[in-house]
Amino acid sequence: MACFERASPALKEILLKIHSRAEKPMEVDHNIHEFGSVNYHVQCSASEPLYTYLSISTPILSSELQPRTLDMVKGICPDVMEIIEPPKEGYQLTLKLNFARIPHNKVSMKMITDISSVQAVILSSQLKELLRKIDSQEISRDIYKPIKLVYHPREPFFVIKQLGKITAVFPMRFKENTDVIIATAFFQELMDVGSSGTFAKAPNCIWSPIPPLELRGEPIEDLSTNAGFVSFDITSRHVEGKKLDKTVWNLLNFYTLVKYHVKSTRGYIQRRMRMRLESLVQLLQHVEKEENQQIKKKDQGCTRVRKWIRFSKSKIIKRKYDFTKKIKRIRSRIKIHGFSRFRRRWLTMTKFSRLTRYTKLE
Amino acid sequence: MANSLRLYLTCIRNTLEAAMCLQNFPCQEVERHNKPEVELKTSPELLLNPVLICRNEAEKCLIETSINSLRISLKVKQADELENILTKKFLRFLSMRAEAFQVLRRKPVQGYDISFLITNYHCEEMQKHKLIDFIVQFMEDIDKEISELKLSVNTRGRIVATEFLKQFI
Repeated sequence: MACFERASPALKEILLKIHSRAEKPMEVDHNIHEFGSVNYHVQCSASEPLYTYLSISTPILSSELQPRTLDMVKGICPDVMEIIEPPKEGYQLTLKLNFARIPHNKVSMKMITDISSVQAVILSSQLKELLRKIDSQEISRDIYKPIKLVYHPREPFFVIKQLGKITAVFPMRFKENTDVIIATAFFQELMDVGSSGTFAKAPNCIWSPIPPLELRGEPIEDLSTNAGFVSFDITSRHVEGKKLDKTVWNLLNFYTLVKYHVKSTRGYIQRRMRMRLESLVQLLQHVEKEENQQIKKKDQGCTRVRKWIRFSKSKIIKRKYDFTKKIKRIRSRIKIHGFSRFRRRWLTMTKFSRLTRYTKLE
Repeated sequence: MANSLRLYLTCIRNTLEAAMCLQNFPCQEVERHNKPEVELKTSPELLLNPVLICRNEAEKCLIETSINSLRISLKVKQADELENILTKKFLRFLSMRAEAFQVLRRKPVQGYDISFLITNYHCEEMQKHKLIDFIVQFMEDIDKEISELKLSVNTRGRIVATEFLKQFI
């Protein structure tokens, strides 16, 4: 299937590299596989440094390219590229590129980008042909008959010609249940936005969990989906002039767009969860911190003891002497009647803080 | 905050305050072992009656108490499929990082979305009322976060849909 960019990034890079080293001939033999169904083969030999051969294999409606499609390909850069007949074995199209005709300035970038988007041109040409026939009033036997387009083995879609419009139906399938739910939410939004007054001119969009009536009679494997069917009604308004190219590209990219949206939404959810985790953990750490601060405060001990520490050494010795005297008096064998009450009142020991903490059992 | 939610949270707070009187208690079966009785359930005399607080069928809280530990299991509301996957994703995400919370259980009790296990050691290390505050705040935050997530997923979808349809005009 197509991607958002028309030009293949990998192919563009290789062609730019060959173009920048045009003066130094080198051997190039690259095979590129894109989206599981598009293959490119770029070949350039040192013996024939002027020419580069680009072969493309892409899923198409018919086994051979239509003459109109070939005309469109020729129109990309007629001075630089030439179609080789027959194409290289295993490929549908082989192009002979003459890099000597590409100037070494800003124009070269545009030309190489255009050449890299040759696959997009081939893909678009088929759907363009179908959409061009919207206005034709002739009632042929093909009317109401769904045409299955397979640009990617796992992403086929149907085009149904009706009177005054063409309906494109996309059966949506996803591997994971999460993806199905995110995509379903998106389809509902798409329907809501499409039905609003602002987008009255946009194609009518319908999402339904069951196959639309137009697909009646199609094989069951094409109609079994887990995310329903999205259909767009394309009218002549959407294919006028330059709009045709955009409409075709949007339809070709619809699967990619939905998948990209699902992927980025999943990433967004993950990011948000990570942020929330931090804030929740902070909440608990705050509880712990407060507790630790309170323990620290308790550790500082009684104010009386703290005052004692502040005394000079001589004073401490003097008090110690008094204290021993008191003890001696307490321990003396002579019992004085009523002295115990006096002792309890005046000779109390200084208070020391004690942590009321338990120790864990090993 | 909705009135029913406030009542629900107040009820949970009061129940937790009453239930969270834990003390150190070594295992009666194995010598030199000290394990949360609410998990092992070896001695029925050490267990209290579990309390189930329900806001509605989809939202409930189970508080199981024992002499040295307390287990709180929560079931979070899931109104639709999107809320369901968001709740599952988020709570699984938190459970997998349970070590950061200390009191969070890695696996929720069957029939619930998330569980906490508070032992007497947690009560000693952290203040009891702060711990209760955390649990209640956690419940509030989860509800808020899931609602916000749902809203933002739908908003993102709407923006993408708008941009897509704009290209046809």
